[in-house]
Amino acid sequence: MGTPAIVVSGLTVQFGSFRALDGLSLAVEYGQIHALIGPNGAGKTTLLDAISGITRSSGGSISLNGLTELTRCNEVDIALSGIRRKFQKPSVFEALSVRDNIALGIPSARQAGLVGQSAIDQRIEATLDVIGLAEQSARLAGELAHGQKQWLEIGIVLASDPKVLMLDEPVAGLTDEETERTGVLLRKLKHPARAIILVEHDMDFVEQVADRVTVLHEGKTLFEGSMKNARLDPGVIDVYLGR
Amino acid sequence: MSAQPSFYSRFAADRFYLWNLVALVGVALALGHAAAGGGLLSEYAINALGQFAAFAILALSLDLIWGYLGILSLGHGLFFAIGGYAIAMHLLKHSYLTTGIVPDFMQFMGWKQFPAYWVWFEHFPYAVAAGLLFAFAIALVFGFVSFRSRVNGVYFAIITQALVYVAMLLMFRNDTGFGGNNGMTGFSVVFGARLGQSSVTALLALAAVVTLIATLIGCRALVISRVGAIMIACRDDETRLRTLGYRTIALKLSIWCLSAVLAAIAGMLYVPLVGIINPRVLSPELSLEIAVWVAIGGRGRLFGAVIGAVTINAVKFLLSARAPELWPFMLSALIVLVALIFPNGLLDLPALRSLIREFVKRPGAGRLTRFKSAS
Amino acid sequence: MWSRLLAAVALFCLVGAQSSAAQQPLDRPTLLRQLCGEAPEVLAGAQSTAELAATAGEADLDWMQAVLFALVDRRLSCGDDAVTLRLPAGTIVNASTLAPATESASGRTPILNLRSRGVVEPILAALNLLVGKDANVKLEALRAVEKKPQPTLLAIVERALKIERDPQVKGAIQSATETLALRSPDPEKQKIAIRRLSEEPSTRSLTLLLNLRSEPAYNANAGYKAALDGAISSIERWLAFSNVLATIYNGMSLASILFMAAVGLAIIFGLMGVINLAQGELLMIGAYVTFLVQEAFRAVLPGLLDWYLIAAIPIVFTVTATIGMALESSLIRHFYSRPLMSLLATWAVSLFLVNLVRVTFGTQNLQFVVPFYLKGGITVVGDFIITWNRLFAIGFALLTLGGTYYILRRTTLGLNMRAVTLNRTMAGCIGIKTRQIDRLAFALGSGLAGLAGLALCPIYNVNPQMGTLFIIDSFMIVVLGGVGTLVGTLVAAIGVGQINVLIEPAYGAVAAKVIVLLMIILFLQWRPEGLFAVKGRRK
Repeated sequence: MGTPAIVVSGLTVQFGSFRALDGLSLAVEYGQIHALIGPNGAGKTTLLDAISGITRSSGGSISLNGLTELTRCNEVDIALSGIRRKFQKPSVFEALSVRDNIALGIPSARQAGLVGQSAIDQRIEATLDVIGLAEQSARLAGELAHGQKQWLEIGIVLASDPKVLMLDEPVAGLTDEETERTGVLLRKLKHPARAIILVEHDMDFVEQVADRVTVLHEGKTLFEGSMKNARLDPGVIDVYLGR
Repeated sequence: MSAQPSFYSRFAADRFYLWNLVALVGVALALGHAAAGGGLLSEYAINALGQFAAFAILALSLDLIWGYLGILSLGHGLFFAIGGYAIAMHLLKHSYLTTGIVPDFMQFMGWKQFPAYWVWFEHFPYAVAAGLLFAFAIALVFGFVSFRSRVNGVYFAIITQALVYVAMLLMFRNDTGFGGNNGMTGFSVVFGARLGQSSVTALLALAAVVTLIATLIGCRALVISRVGAIMIACRDDETRLRTLGYRTIALKLSIWCLSAVLAAIAGMLYVPLVGIINPRVLSPELSLEIAVWVAIGGRGRLFGAVIGAVTINAVKFLLSARAPELWPFMLSALIVLVALIFPNGLLDLPALRSLIREFVKRPGAGRLTRFKSAS
Repeated sequence: MWSRLLAAVALFCLVGAQSSAAQQPLDRPTLLRQLCGEAPEVLAGAQSTAELAATAGEADLDWMQAVLFALVDRRLSCGDDAVTLRLPAGTIVNASTLAPATESASGRTPILNLRSRGVVEPILAALNLLVGKDANVKLEALRAVEKKPQPTLLAIVERALKIERDPQVKGAIQSATETLALRSPDPEKQKIAIRRLSEEPSTRSLTLLLNLRSEPAYNANAGYKAALDGAISSIERWLAFSNVLATIYNGMSLASILFMAAVGLAIIFGLMGVINLAQGELLMIGAYVTFLVQEAFRAVLPGLLDWYLIAAIPIVFTVTATIGMALESSLIRHFYSRPLMSLLATWAVSLFLVNLVRVTFGTQNLQFVVPFYLKGGITVVGDFIITWNRLFAIGFALLTLGGTYYILRRTTLGLNMRAVTLNRTMAGCIGIKTRQIDRLAFALGSGLAGLAGLALCPIYNVNPQMGTLFIIDSFMIVVLGGVGTLVGTLVAAIGVGQINVLIEPAYGAVAAKVIVLLMIILFLQWRPEGLFAVKGRRK
């Protein structure tokens, strides 16, 4: 077992009378890609919202490195503590250039461990190379194709070298070839000092990249383990995968 | 090859901006000539140019927050009025100390002495500092409570509108010591020189145009900087920006206060030129009109606001002499035209071009709604 | 019904009894001699006239009125042989018989000094009250009687009270008797009058009683003093209570108008995210259409003029709803994704409408006929009067509330509207024609604003600028109440209306607006989404 980065325990999120998350507990470890799967409405995105501070929880706790209690922080402080999140709907800043987008991924040079403008520029170049958009750096983000926007957003959240990276459906709407490239990119992002949470509906993609899988159902954990075992679990088959 | 271009090359990248800036410098030179006694411009034209410059600064201040941060204020007349009242207080007190004539509103109220809060207003730097500081403080408090509780968009717009409306009601009262209903007028002296002389008017107008140029350069430097990029990002997706670790409340509050101070400066330049200030500058209609200038010229391009403010006011000046009752109808038609067909303002040349092209190709078939864009 | 009939019979008997008792002849010459004498004699004569008038026959009453009128008017001529008077028409008559005569050579016109005038004029007024035919004459006379209340006139006024039929005049006479009874030399009568006054607390009775404190009897007679003080404090308590009620009542009527203006705004905002800055102008148009309906009635059906307000209801709704629908399909629909631009576009509409109305009708306030069913009101307690015009606005708002609730909750249109409010895309996917719903909702919202304009016609000024007065308050209500909830709008409207009315008398209208705005800003710190916002996952 590795060191846990994020520990969720007994987390409840309530919208009116509807419980989107119902006493959920979960641990995400460093050096792993941890996939969250489950049917629509299972609470996957709500969990990411709660971790990133966009949605307030009504009970339970989320801790980072066993120290910082995230349910008491706002989204800015959570981001500054090294947690980044890519949204389900590609959220890039369309009115800005690709380069400016990546630069926005580094809110504070000190926090990202960079000293001097040249170090920042180097980090931006390196990120552009990793996501394969170096050629496009001067273009407006709004002019990019859908797949490129997905990568650009990964680049934005990657630029500050985050400890925890949350990716909400990074391959949704991509072609097979683009999905393939994203898979390669994701494995490159794996790092002993980084935990990656992946929400995805593409089971083959998840099986390819994920080290560990949690199946959510109605705000609770239905299964936790490897993707291979998830596919064999009768409960998971019932509610999600189908026979 | 993907390295960031230098600041100067980015500053100069917008040819449209540069040419307009050159034109403005030309206007400044002409006013300088007039101030030195040249007879190139008529007295009326000089005064009008000065007023337009003040309005342009006011429009710029709104463009900064609406065009670049997506925050629409329908109460910017409040800050304009704060600047205007501060300078009016200075002019009145200065005129009183020079000529010994008691201001009208004090005669009207039967007061022998200036109210206590008028103290030191005869000193120009104090009056300016007090006006700017007050505008800043109001903006800070109001902005803080609004942005903190995530009051945005339409909510913010209508609350600012209510704010300026309440301020107008307050200033209409005669007992506030700011001239009440009739406002303040009868300024006779500025810096010891008699107001109304053409060289003095030209100097005042020149001051307005020079301030406008400085504001334009400063704003441009701001919007092409990293802060400018963050502003645009905040306008387009604030939640996204916050989850990247930016304290957007601080950003919005800073730019909002800067905008308020700019509006106050515009008011300070405006009042000596027109020689009067009264609570009507606080009417919700004027504040809405500022937004109309920016919308008609085009948001988020700096010169859009300037050109919008100058064009609309020039038409208004022309019409108010000949057919004042026509003006509101024309204004409303213009707003609808811009809102429906040129969402990015009349300066949106590509939209105009493609509209014409489509119209020529298939007469009558031009679907106007094609040029919609999100605001 | 029966009791009223009985009272009428009793009244008839009383009048009959009195006229039979008053058949003894009046000694006219003696009276005339007194009136022709020196000041003390004149006063005595006038006093005895006043005393006699309480029981005198109708002919004698007419005679007394004619003589006193002539005396005051300096048309009396006292000769050694005969007293004559000149009638207002010019004819000279014998003052005793009122038969035509010639003026005596030694005739001298008595002149009343200021003090006598102060005594004689109220007596003449009291006589006018008895012999007068016109209600206005009588009311005028009552004012003169009450101006310098003389206890001796009490009997005359009481007699007038018994024979009066007109309820308005009767009420005025009733209060005059109270005023006079308070001045009565008989302390028992005074105490009764004080007690009766304290049972009908009003500002008027309070002033009357407070005036009595300066009378010598107040300090001389301990029992009297206690009775008076008790009555005053009781009235003051009731007045405080009634003022609270009156304030709440006025607040409710303001809230009613605000609710009707804001509910349309809230529906439109909830559904389309568009703030309609022209909502105030739709309200103004509603008022102007009401005016046009009134003028049409005046021209075509003058007999039914009073009913124009009722007849205008469907017309106003139809006209403003149609304008709203036209506005939506030509302009507003282009702004659903651009709420800030919609503010400017709808402001352009408002600017256009205000100026169109100004050019067509002028800027002056419109004159409305107040229908008979909205005139006056009933006094509930003290100064609290339920005026019919405000009750009309409140009732109208309640009907609007009920109607809107019904449409939103019980009709297909309402169901579809709520569906689109919650999730436009989803509603479109399941086959709801969202475009059509938008248009109908906008029409509904506009029609409601028009009805608000109709309801305020009998209460507030109607002019082209009136819309701006209501629009900012309506915004505040929408912000306060939260988007798309009827309850929220209702509660917020009552809150804003009441606060405005409560603060206004103490600190002025400006302070009321400032305080309302500050409270809303502070409130948003606590609940940014309004009172009754629907919660969900943030996008």
